Amino acid sequence: MIRIFKYECRRLLWNKFFFGFFLVTLFYGWQILTNVTILGVSRTAPFSPWSFGDYLCRMIPLLWIGALFFLTFFHSARARRAAVLTNTAPAHPGKYAFARCAAAAAGTGLLMLAALAEAAVFYGGYFGWHNWKTLAQPAFISLAPPLIFALGSGWCLGKIKGWLLYIWMLVPFVCMALPLPEKLGIWNGSFFSEYPKTLGTLDPEFSLPAATAVFQGVILALGILLIVRGVAGKEQKRDR
Amino acid sequence: MRGIRLFFLELRRLLKSRITWLVIFLTVLSPAAGLFLYKPASSTMLSIYLANPSIAGGLTGGVLFGLLTVYELDRAGRSCTEVLLNAAVSPLRMAMVHLAALIGTAALTLAAVMTVWLPVSRAMIGSVFDAGDYVLAYLIFMGLALPLGILAAAAAFQFTCRSDLSLVLFAVFAGLSLTVWAENWQFCWLNPSVWALSDDFSNLRIYRSAAYMRFTWLAGLGGVWTLSWICIRQYGKGLWGSFVRNARRIYRPVTALLLAGCSVMAFVGQPMVDRSNPDETVFSLDEIPYLEEVVCSGRSARVFPDTSAGTVAGQAAYQFQNTSGKKQKVDFAVTPGYRISSVQVNGKDAIYELGDYQEYNEAVLEVEIPEEKAAEVTVEYGGFPRENRNMSSMQGSREISREYLCLENAALAPRLLNVQPDEGMYPAVIEITLPDSMTVIPFGTAEAEIVKKQDNGTSTWRYQDHGTGGIVYAGDYIRQDIEAGGIDIELYYGRSHQKIMETAGAAEAVKTVVDYCTEHYGTLAFGSGGSLKLIQSRVSGGGYAAAGASLLDETDFTAANLTDSRKGAGYGEVMIHELVHQWWGLGCMFDNSDGTDPWSAEGLTVYTTFRIAEKLYGEEYAEKNYLEQWRQAAEEYYLNFYVRNPEYLAALPEDRQLEISNSLEYVRQYCEMPLKIRKAEELVGGEEAMDQILCSLFSRELDPAYPYLTYQDFLDACGLKEEDLNLDQNI
Repeated sequence: MIRIFKYECRRLLWNKFFFGFFLVTLFYGWQILTNVTILGVSRTAPFSPWSFGDYLCRMIPLLWIGALFFLTFFHSARARRAAVLTNTAPAHPGKYAFARCAAAAAGTGLLMLAALAEAAVFYGGYFGWHNWKTLAQPAFISLAPPLIFALGSGWCLGKIKGWLLYIWMLVPFVCMALPLPEKLGIWNGSFFSEYPKTLGTLDPEFSLPAATAVFQGVILALGILLIVRGVAGKEQKRDR
Repeated sequence: MRGIRLFFLELRRLLKSRITWLVIFLTVLSPAAGLFLYKPASSTMLSIYLANPSIAGGLTGGVLFGLLTVYELDRAGRSCTEVLLNAAVSPLRMAMVHLAALIGTAALTLAAVMTVWLPVSRAMIGSVFDAGDYVLAYLIFMGLALPLGILAAAAAFQFTCRSDLSLVLFAVFAGLSLTVWAENWQFCWLNPSVWALSDDFSNLRIYRSAAYMRFTWLAGLGGVWTLSWICIRQYGKGLWGSFVRNARRIYRPVTALLLAGCSVMAFVGQPMVDRSNPDETVFSLDEIPYLEEVVCSGRSARVFPDTSAGTVAGQAAYQFQNTSGKKQKVDFAVTPGYRISSVQVNGKDAIYELGDYQEYNEAVLEVEIPEEKAAEVTVEYGGFPRENRNMSSMQGSREISREYLCLENAALAPRLLNVQPDEGMYPAVIEITLPDSMTVIPFGTAEAEIVKKQDNGTSTWRYQDHGTGGIVYAGDYIRQDIEAGGIDIELYYGRSHQKIMETAGAAEAVKTVVDYCTEHYGTLAFGSGGSLKLIQSRVSGGGYAAAGASLLDETDFTAANLTDSRKGAGYGEVMIHELVHQWWGLGCMFDNSDGTDPWSAEGLTVYTTFRIAEKLYGEEYAEKNYLEQWRQAAEEYYLNFYVRNPEYLAALPEDRQLEISNSLEYVRQYCEMPLKIRKAEELVGGEEAMDQILCSLFSRELDPAYPYLTYQDFLDACGLKEEDLNLDQNI
């Protein structure tokens, strides 16, 4: 299984799409950091958990699209044609699917790490600030649930119809346009700029309202569940 | 010939595709998004019902045509017919045919959009609809976005040969334009930086600026597309191999380089905005020391605006008395964009130098005058006046057309910087030649009159003024005379605005403001028998005042304001503000030497505007639109991270520091200070007591050596200390 994982990682990550996307992520991230994050959100420092969370929220659409693009490698028409051959391989289909999903997760993780490392370089270079530990919580809360959910839901949708993945890429943009309730603010980017103002103190410590934490937890659990179900479930009968 | 045949075949094929028709249909609908969802411009009817729909149409259409381009270019690969197609037609030729067919489809779509939206726009815009504006807005704001989208998406696809990666690249390129580049007029390729269109006057300057940006990008993306075209894979080779093979025909890489080079040159050498110092707290031009033993005894200027090209040419003459007995260097401020074609002193060519440093939309011209006692300096200048780069996202103020013109200070004639006047206080004779249809209005007490009519449909106007600078407005104006506060007011507004001004009761509003200020603070210095001009400018987002004249922004009275019930009676407030400056700022002067000082004419002017709004529109309106806004802004200021931690601000790059500190200074003068005055009003016993104090300050005896009203004067008059007016951080 590790060999399959390595092979899929190589297929996914050692190509011009990944490198192109990687560069695009870095470029986009730097533009956000130097034009928006530098001002700080909600009267807090640019390196506060809130400003950092705001930066990550702005990066989520790109990372979401990246995660789903990785899945198109396994659910495209071409991959389906090749599935006739791979299905005959002496490997458990569930494990095979899991290795592929893990490779997609690794690709998404690398993009995410690129965004995080870029922020670290920005904070160090501009402000000489290196207290990264304080940013772990907002990073986990903002990135893990949506990206795991993107992989899980994308895997299931891709199994139904490959082109649904492209429709699913629009979800973050729809969320940004919708007037979501406050508790779901992470999904339209308003949480990190609005919630600290309601805490009544200057430079508040990072905290989450229970409802937001529960919602993010549910999304994370749902994402894991969908991944498990997606990789363990039977392949749908598809049209070519 | 084969290419043309292929183009028509491809165009026909495209127009038979359902996806193409979906894209066309959505693009035709897309201007509606500008009415409800995407509204970057505001204030005037043309902004709301023409600029916003056309920009939204361009944005949506550009993205849709970009997606269609990727879809179409990927078609052969998707259907596995690439090998067959490549055998029949060269992939390079086919790429050109695809591009031409897509751009042709985009042109047909634009024609459909303009046909469908013409009656809609005409009905919504009403009496200020202008066919020229309609065509230019749709062509520039919308039309040019479509080929840009196509070129960007096609280039991405031709480089990567992958639909997924090219879609990501295109999405990020479009996303940057809409987000982090949105405030940069040269970068926002998809959504041009248009903040307002004028209803009553022309908008040529803003169209020029948007078109310039679009053509810069067209050249740039044309170059990138040509480069990607050279990289189209052939003979089973990869990107580099194909590039080397295709670049053998030298005209291909040369074309790519030429287009990219043109774009870079156009970007760097743009003629629209200057290179003014971004630090707006620096006034080094006004701090140039005056020459000793040199005085200016008079000046004259003959100005010839070219209303078709938007340029100005002129000749200015200055008379100096040099009693120093040695050579001296006289400094003039010149508007960036103007070239100095000749400088003569006493009829002989003189040594001069136009400096590179620019500040507040002015550069310094240094001219050496001889040791002779009398010297006449003649400067010939001209060109396309640039706007201040610090206001680059709000371009349009340097409008020069047959309908409207405004030349301010150095844009009218070089402004003298370092020579003091003789007893005549810089007497100036200005002659300006303009089309017969235009009325010339000097911004100040001077009156212009026609001295000559030419056969070519132009007239020469002349007026006499005083001072080193001067502002002149010209356009198709109507004059309405009003008497208020013991002075005669000449209200000038655009002819097409007459109905709106009458419906809005503009004359009554002006009278109310002048009566209020006269009653509460005193009569203006020029008193009875004097006159005050109130001139409507094209939409400018603010205004100014000078002795004897104030500006009335076009947005003060628009049809949209009149019909918007949510705004209640609250229009005309920029006009009120600028009129109040006749009392605070002109009648009573403030020391402006320190731009960072929160005490300025703006504090008392904004406070008085609030009081007038309170009287005219009620307490609730004033509380909501003034006090609440001030409190909110001041609170944001006090709590701003960089205000609390200036050491971090100092660590930032200089341009970022300036951007942040400039935005903060505004709050101090326009929000914090009025709040402090309001607090002083409460401490001294209410509005009536404050009115008496302000009245006494307005009519106080002036110290000729320092005639300015200081913060300390204000505090003393109130019987308060500075700390009494400190605001809580939690306001």
